[in-house]
Amino acid sequence: MSSLWASLSATWQDSLIALALVLPGLIIGALTIRGFAPWALVRALLWRFRWPNVMFVLLIAASVGMGIGLIAQERGLRKGTAAAADKFDMIVAAPGSEMTLMLASVYLQPSDVPLLKGQIYNEIANHDRVTIAAPLAFGDSFGGAPIIGTIADFARYLSDDQIEGRMWQDTFEAIAGAYVPLDIGDSFVPSHGFGDTAEDDAHGDQITVVGRMAPTGSPWDRAIMVPVESVWAVHGLANGHAPDAPVQLGPPYDAAYFPGTPAIVVKADELWATYSLRSEFTRDAETMAFFPGTVLAELYAVMGDVRQAMSLMTLVTQVLVATSVLVGMFILTRLFRRQMSLLRALGAPGRFVLSVVWSYAAMLLVSGAVLGLGVGLGAAHALSRIVTARTDILVVPQIGWTEVHLLLGFLSVTLLLSLLPALAVLRRPIVDGLRA
Amino acid sequence: MADPRRLPLRVTNLRIANPRGRVLVDVPDIAVAPGEALGIRGPSGAGKSTLLFALAGLIKSASGQVVWGDQDLLNLSAEARTAFRAENMGLIFQDFLLFEELGAAANAGVGSFFRRKSTRPDLRQRADRMLTHLGIRDEARNVTSFSGGERQRVAVARALAHDPALLLADEPTASLDRAAADRLVGDLIDLTRAEGKTLITVSHDIALLDRMDRVILIQDGKLVETENV
Repeated sequence: MSSLWASLSATWQDSLIALALVLPGLIIGALTIRGFAPWALVRALLWRFRWPNVMFVLLIAASVGMGIGLIAQERGLRKGTAAAADKFDMIVAAPGSEMTLMLASVYLQPSDVPLLKGQIYNEIANHDRVTIAAPLAFGDSFGGAPIIGTIADFARYLSDDQIEGRMWQDTFEAIAGAYVPLDIGDSFVPSHGFGDTAEDDAHGDQITVVGRMAPTGSPWDRAIMVPVESVWAVHGLANGHAPDAPVQLGPPYDAAYFPGTPAIVVKADELWATYSLRSEFTRDAETMAFFPGTVLAELYAVMGDVRQAMSLMTLVTQVLVATSVLVGMFILTRLFRRQMSLLRALGAPGRFVLSVVWSYAAMLLVSGAVLGLGVGLGAAHALSRIVTARTDILVVPQIGWTEVHLLLGFLSVTLLLSLLPALAVLRRPIVDGLRA
Repeated sequence: MADPRRLPLRVTNLRIANPRGRVLVDVPDIAVAPGEALGIRGPSGAGKSTLLFALAGLIKSASGQVVWGDQDLLNLSAEARTAFRAENMGLIFQDFLLFEELGAAANAGVGSFFRRKSTRPDLRQRADRMLTHLGIRDEARNVTSFSGGERQRVAVARALAHDPALLLADEPTASLDRAAADRLVGDLIDLTRAEGKTLITVSHDIALLDRMDRVILIQDGKLVETENV
């Protein structure tokens, strides 16, 4: 049995779980309503007590939406961070914290890290299996946008060669990220450092924007990319090439004139080669090679615990709401106690009264759950916009099977619980109800 | 089982007490012949409506016998009593007890919602005929816009839609003005007499009680007097 289950695709497994979750609710409904036509009366009750009903639906929607929104948001964030790191197969840096290096290189979070020498860079760049070895140089900014020195091949690779305008051809030309508030043709003077501590007049060289990258969904959309030679030049350092060599931008670099780079982004010609490169360039006290994807996976493992805690909170919330729904149903059924007693007096079987009360509850629950789905998605989108605006990581929340399972499970449990107030209606004396 | 169209009533030693032990109804014997119209009168709080509800099998705590044909309602399970009412009884209440959000036709045919599918069209047709007969023109119109008299006529149509042998009415004219009450009394008597139905009604309304075959007086839950009209 377990091997049969394992042989099914993930979609089939999720679909079957969804079916198993919703089935109890459907069976209860079918058994309760079978042979009756309660809908006209249910509609009448829904309309008669419309304001309490609306409040009830909103309560359910808010609760369901909160759970769904949190889960969808967490997944969107995870996917967004993974997508942002997608182009960063491997990073080589001086030994230190992989997390710090990943945050600095992929997510452009400022940090002080030791520099790698030119020999190391050349060794990597000249390796047979390496197709791109991009030095990264941080430290400057303009108007809050980090300025990153690198090579043209990496800028093309990062943007899938989707660059409006042209690639830089001079040391003091730049490619702006998709959301940098500079137009092609604009010039700027870089500030030294970031944020409030940035020194606006530390560098005098003016840089001109000659191209703009297409959106990448990463913090690089708000970065300005310049030739790494430009960063070195504005800091008064050598430009990576011998003074008597012909003027050029990008590799090969002369190790003697290579000022250093905090990180090198490496792309291998084959995926398997990346693993061998990682071993090759992980050397005690000299270099550290790591996969940002692995670091992210470790981060997700921590987030996974948080996610489990969030899921538990969501579940507890749903249980509390289910209890509130149940209590609310008991209260609501008192509102139409007289009508239910009338039906019994007229000869309606107990199961019919049960079907009316249950269908009424089911309508509120299903409406609340469907609305909750929309509320959850809306909340996740709103949160995503905030996260994207603050981190530049494109977070796109989507409803996944987890949310569908949560929703269907919630519905089935509450539909089952709705039988209790319906049964309570049947236990009340008919005459008391008629005289109520 | 007796002919479902001919259900004589025999009440023997019917006793109903409230949870605190106060006796609400204590009737040693009442007999009602099929097709007879019986009025129940008495002062407020005398137990008339309680007696009527007991005859309909709506009171659990009653003891004694309430035998319709050969069925003692007090010996039946709650579901069997409900089924008996569905088959044989029509009920009319003082304050109409209609579903306010439904139209006249849906209210009169409310029984079709819970009866067997095969019987639903007949019930709806009969409900429509009853409404027409009782002068309710716009059958789809919501009953909230109806006058008291019209509402009670919809309730009468509902009580008769499934063609019951017995009609039990609790103060059917109490919420109506005189003209509406007179019209309702006429309709009620004509319809039950024409179809040979047994009618038992609780009322203070002399005009209605005058049209009964027999009237019993209830005081303090006890049968005090029987008058042949």
